[in-house]
Amino acid sequence: MAANIAAQRIKREFKEVIRSEEVAKCAIKVELVGDSYTELRGEIGGPPDTPYEGGVFTLDIKIPDTYPFNPPKVRFVSKIWHPNISSVTGAICLDILQDQWAAAMTLRTVLLSLQALMASPEPDDPQDAVVAKQYKENLAIFERTARFWTSTYAGGPPADDDCSRKISRLMDMGVDRETACVALSTYNWDLERSTEQIFS
Amino acid sequence: MGNCLKRSSSDDISLLRGSDGNSEVQTDPPPPYPEPVGPVYYPSPNISRSVNQLTEEEQIKIAKRMGLIQHLPTGTYDGCKKNRECVICMVEFIVGDNVRYLPCMHIYHVHCIDDWLMRSFTCPSCMEPVDAALLTSYETS
Repeated sequence: MAANIAAQRIKREFKEVIRSEEVAKCAIKVELVGDSYTELRGEIGGPPDTPYEGGVFTLDIKIPDTYPFNPPKVRFVSKIWHPNISSVTGAICLDILQDQWAAAMTLRTVLLSLQALMASPEPDDPQDAVVAKQYKENLAIFERTARFWTSTYAGGPPADDDCSRKISRLMDMGVDRETACVALSTYNWDLERSTEQIFS
Repeated sequence: MGNCLKRSSSDDISLLRGSDGNSEVQTDPPPPYPEPVGPVYYPSPNISRSVNQLTEEEQIKIAKRMGLIQHLPTGTYDGCKKNRECVICMVEFIVGDNVRYLPCMHIYHVHCIDDWLMRSFTCPSCMEPVDAALLTSYETS
């Protein structure tokens, strides 16, 4: 019974998302993964006037058999630098995906809420402590890092030359790109401290 | 009516194993409880327990909740244009469907809303708590 409701609802929601205006504006999108209605792929355009602008972020969406009585399980596949999203796993800290879920919410409202979360981070309720600390202590560096990640992992506008140069420097020392990016992002783009941390 | 007492389906049980089949998401620790037996209940929205794992306090809470749900009026859908579909299953109401009315006047299929209310005693549309007044009057009577 419950599984029937889940699949039936997702089918109906699909039509809703596809029809809605947000799709026309390329802001949100949902696709099926395979034939089942339990695994979906979402896409969110980075909100304007944020460091995520110009990027397209992919989401992994899993629909539990008990949907809509329980929320969908959503995680970022595209790496993102945001206080409420893990920079390592893509796990999201958002109340409606946990205890504030209501059965009347839909994939469309979830995606729009995530877009709103991208525009208004809540560093006091962090999922990623490192990112939240940077956000609170040095907003300019946070924005620069978030923009760099948008460019690198979400197809955003070309990256900051200074950041790219520092990554290349670390790569010249035999560090892989990802490790270099994480270390520099964590240590506020301080090349010396990042090098020290990597090789210590 | 007692349909809120219905047996759990295998789907409910699969929820308890939540992390099956999405190993790459693996952020949750393994479920702390052994395999459930019998019906599954939800003492809180995110806590599901099989009937033999409920504490006495939870059993009382669930029993009260069932009683309260039965105090909410039901009826049959009369074709009212204001409420066209049940937002839980997103299926349009058909004249004669069994519906339940919440104090905020949102209506749902009885089987849909009862399943929700057993998890969260709020209206899924407006998030209004389903009548604190009802709760008080029930507890004091």
